[in-house]
Amino acid sequence: MNAIEFENITKKFENFIANDDITFYIRKNDVHCILGENGAGKSTLMNILFGIYKKDSGKLKVFGNEVEFSSPLDAIKNNIGMVHQHFMLIDDFTVLENVILGNEISNKYGLDFKTAEDILNKLIAKYDLGIDLSSTVSSLSIGLQQKVEILKLLYRESEILIFDEPTAVLSPVEVDLFFKIIESFKADGKTIIFITHKLNEVKYISDRVSVLRKGKLVYEADNNKNSALAISELSNAIVGDVSNIIVTENRKINKNDSPAFELNNIFLSVNNVRKLNDLCLNLFMGEIHGICGVEGNGQSELVDIVYGLQKNFTGQYVKNVSGGISIVPDDRKRKGFIKEFNIGENISLKGANFIYLPADTINKISDKIISGNDIRLSDKTAPMGNLSGGNQQKVIFARETISDNNILILVHPTRGVDINATAFIHNEILLQRNEGKAVLLISSDLDELISLSDRLSVMYKGEITRTFNRDEYSGYIRSESEVEPETDPEFLQMLGKLMTGIND
Amino acid sequence: MISRKNLINLISVILSVLMTVLIVFFFLLILGKDPFEIFGTILSEVFADGYGIGQTLFKATPLIFISCGLAICFHASLFNIGAEGQLNAGSFVIALIALKLDFLPAYAVIIISLFCGFLVSGFFGLIPAYIKIKKDVSEVITTIMMNFVILALVNYFLLDFFAVQSTMRTEKINEDLMFLKISDLVPFFQGSTLNSSFILAVLAAVITYVFIYKTGFGYKLRSVGFNELASKYLGVRTNGVILISFFIGAGITAFAGMNYIFGYKGFYEFGFSNNIGFTAIAVTLLAKNNPIGIIFSSLLFAILDYGGLSVNQLIPKELMLVVQGIIILSLLAVDKLVSNYFSGKFI
Amino acid sequence: MDLLSSVISLGFVAQVLRLMTPFYLGASAANFSERGGVINISVEGFMNLSAFSFAVISILTGNVFTGFILAVLVNLIFSIMFGYFTVSLKINQIVTGVGFNLFIAGLTKFLLVYIFSSSSNTPRFEGLPELSLFKNVPFFGLFLTDYITIFCFLLIFISVYILFKTKFGLRLRSAGENPAAGESLGIKIRHYRYYGIFICGFLSAVAGIWMASNQNSYSDGMIAGRGYIALAAMIIGKWKPVNIFFACLLFSAFEAFEISLQISGSDIPSQLIQMLPYFITILVLIGFIGKTKPPAADGVPY
Repeated sequence: MNAIEFENITKKFENFIANDDITFYIRKNDVHCILGENGAGKSTLMNILFGIYKKDSGKLKVFGNEVEFSSPLDAIKNNIGMVHQHFMLIDDFTVLENVILGNEISNKYGLDFKTAEDILNKLIAKYDLGIDLSSTVSSLSIGLQQKVEILKLLYRESEILIFDEPTAVLSPVEVDLFFKIIESFKADGKTIIFITHKLNEVKYISDRVSVLRKGKLVYEADNNKNSALAISELSNAIVGDVSNIIVTENRKINKNDSPAFELNNIFLSVNNVRKLNDLCLNLFMGEIHGICGVEGNGQSELVDIVYGLQKNFTGQYVKNVSGGISIVPDDRKRKGFIKEFNIGENISLKGANFIYLPADTINKISDKIISGNDIRLSDKTAPMGNLSGGNQQKVIFARETISDNNILILVHPTRGVDINATAFIHNEILLQRNEGKAVLLISSDLDELISLSDRLSVMYKGEITRTFNRDEYSGYIRSESEVEPETDPEFLQMLGKLMTGIND
Repeated sequence: MISRKNLINLISVILSVLMTVLIVFFFLLILGKDPFEIFGTILSEVFADGYGIGQTLFKATPLIFISCGLAICFHASLFNIGAEGQLNAGSFVIALIALKLDFLPAYAVIIISLFCGFLVSGFFGLIPAYIKIKKDVSEVITTIMMNFVILALVNYFLLDFFAVQSTMRTEKINEDLMFLKISDLVPFFQGSTLNSSFILAVLAAVITYVFIYKTGFGYKLRSVGFNELASKYLGVRTNGVILISFFIGAGITAFAGMNYIFGYKGFYEFGFSNNIGFTAIAVTLLAKNNPIGIIFSSLLFAILDYGGLSVNQLIPKELMLVVQGIIILSLLAVDKLVSNYFSGKFI
Repeated sequence: MDLLSSVISLGFVAQVLRLMTPFYLGASAANFSERGGVINISVEGFMNLSAFSFAVISILTGNVFTGFILAVLVNLIFSIMFGYFTVSLKINQIVTGVGFNLFIAGLTKFLLVYIFSSSSNTPRFEGLPELSLFKNVPFFGLFLTDYITIFCFLLIFISVYILFKTKFGLRLRSAGENPAAGESLGIKIRHYRYYGIFICGFLSAVAGIWMASNQNSYSDGMIAGRGYIALAAMIIGKWKPVNIFFACLLFSAFEAFEISLQISGSDIPSQLIQMLPYFITILVLIGFIGKTKPPAADGVPY
């Protein structure tokens, strides 16, 4: 019997298709893994299943019955429970209060804590969760907080449990404990949906796997005694064909004596969570140093340290070149620009000092940027929030490169950007490199990293675990004249393993 | 050309003023008054002669100064509710300095005392700004509390050290420090207390406008107000911007005392401000934080203030306080509904 | 010497406990609203409004009970308006609070003149009946003189019970701490935010009524910042009913001390005593006296 059936589910956000005609099923009592890169549509699909988003079209069946969810409450009533990637816990409440909230047991004197405690203590004992009901959530480790979330599902007698990247925040020991809990759920006949990036976990725990890429279902396979998963097939399915490689001209290796900056033995903890762990990294003038890694492995903390926004680290940060640092930040909408300002204003703001700044000056800057970067607009004085993502990114890129700063940090420079703007930006990145600037490129797009980087480092759990020189992979990049793409699946597979922490 | 945003602002301001008129109209009907008679009297009194217009402009003067200061704070997303305290501290110091420095030439005394008033008011703005950036405590609560602290301090120093016996005011400053009455130049305003402070206030509004919209710092302070995080990535020193904006914004409120001390009475009197620091919040919001708009919204509030006096025979002048309250509440609601409507999210 | 002996008397302590009533009612009012995630800085205005409507209606009808009920009703109507602005329209809560304070101040000033032709106060009237139950009990008889004060003391326990021992309180607090979490468990967060505002309206009404009843009249500006002190007490009391009670005791001690000062003719400046509550609040906020942390989603529209 199938616990869940997705039939032709489609969901659009404005022009972006997050889920494109997705059809698959989840068997009862399976551990079903859903894989895919960031933005592949996993979260959207789960949010539809949990009633947070409404699907545009398609059918959703739970235990064979077609359902229409308009709120999480509907999902909860159908015995579906979800542990979100960002926990839905109230820090100031005790574990007990967090768990019973919404399904309280009352007697004539008010809340019946005693009965609830009895029920919960039985569950805690049964699944060996080891949490104290009276402790405050904010005092618990992330691992224990996750157990509180699990307890919430158990208390509500959920039969279908959705976990959104549950192991991303856990230490290896906690991961083992978590898998024991998952196994005991399976033994109880529950159905588990497990969203993850980590292939070794998938191989270990899953009964069946579905892979999403760019909003579509691209791969499905069982994982059991008869048919074990082929990791290479999986990583290919996730990453896709490396076909969008662009060709770059000959690279001059012009490493100076001293790097533009170097980071030595950097440690950083935020809210008692270790973010950077003995990180060592350097960047030379005239090179593009690519950083690949699953998001959340310390990349944004690295950027904040280099850019100077994060100062509470230990270790050595030496900058050997003069001038400022330019940055194209990751989260364009939150960090990249002021959406209420127009193009010229956003550009003038960078480096503006306390002087008269008339509209004429701003307009001239704006015109220069618009014509120089092939930005097509109907109204150049419109606030930047009204521009398309591609145009916004072009403006940000132009703003960061017109200065004579020697260091350029690029974080996901082409995320959410259309193909033409992507090509334009890639070309610009190479131009900057050729002008002799030092470029740090952080991206989740492996095509981009492989084709642009002079050196490529893998970042995992706050440290650089491996650095490749270009000659180690450049031979595998398709050149313009060749018709057939010549990619190296082995190299990609190795990257995938390094990114997910598998060491051969 | 008027931008879409300004157009939407204008629509919501006009709609909320119309809504206020409508509400007051029915309020008066319920009270058994003739709304036409009352509205008519207000307008005819205010615009009847130079005196009425002069008095209205006189009453608008301190509102313009304070609101300009608040506009600077509001643009940086700093909700300064402490203008009432800040302006009293500054005004008190202006009067004291003007009294103590009477041996200097008049222009020097005026400049020095105004500058000191600015510094003192600004200092009291720095305190909540500093607490905000260092301790992450909302400026709202600190400025509310600071109002009471400052007023108590001013009251204490005034009564125990500087006040004229059995009054709540300082000594009178030298006659030669008093500002020119506009009526001396333009006989049209005969009898009105309108003085050159008004011209300075309009000038201040224009300067504030240029400062906010046309200078590098103005862009920075608005960018901090719009999106503090992005501003950091744009290389703006956000903490510095918050400190400076609060300092300047609070400092300007001191000039509210200029109109009263140099332009009217010649002394600082406790209670002269009569909650104008709070009224200015309404004025600033109505102007959508635009200093040029502030000139007009200050005039509107001044018309209500002076017009209230003229209808006192028909209905208590405090009616105008009700009207001010209704304006601000209508503005808040209408503004939200209008912007929801235009962003297509109308519920 | 006079001052010292008057301060360490039982009478002084009783005075402190009695003067605490409006502070604690106001602070509890604000607390219920903020526990639900809505900052209500117009507690000052709401207290003013109810003091006024209680006095006016009591005088016009000659019946203080009618006055009481209608004054509460008026506050509830204003609470609906406040909720519409802050919860339904999601307008900035602080700006709305300032707006309501301005509007209410104007409305009461106007109606005072309009109805009684006086810009300072209403005629005197007989306040709520006194309670004679504890009259002959030593010490307690000195401050347990009316129903509202007794209610105020009971409110400490009622607040603790409602906030921490009932389903309602749990859900209300979830609205103030993490509305998204509450909503993901099927709780209608906006309803609870309205409920918090209603309780705030009711309690601030009682606080204002006590003020007017106690002075047997309404006078303009009689709340004199007590609503703001109540907010301060709530902050210092870290949004906990019992702690708030002690913060209120501190502030009412200042007030009682100030009264003693005036009577004894001491030369300690009374202004400096008056500003102490606000000054201490700032010190507490800066973190000199322990850290305070508001409900996590306090002031965040949802």
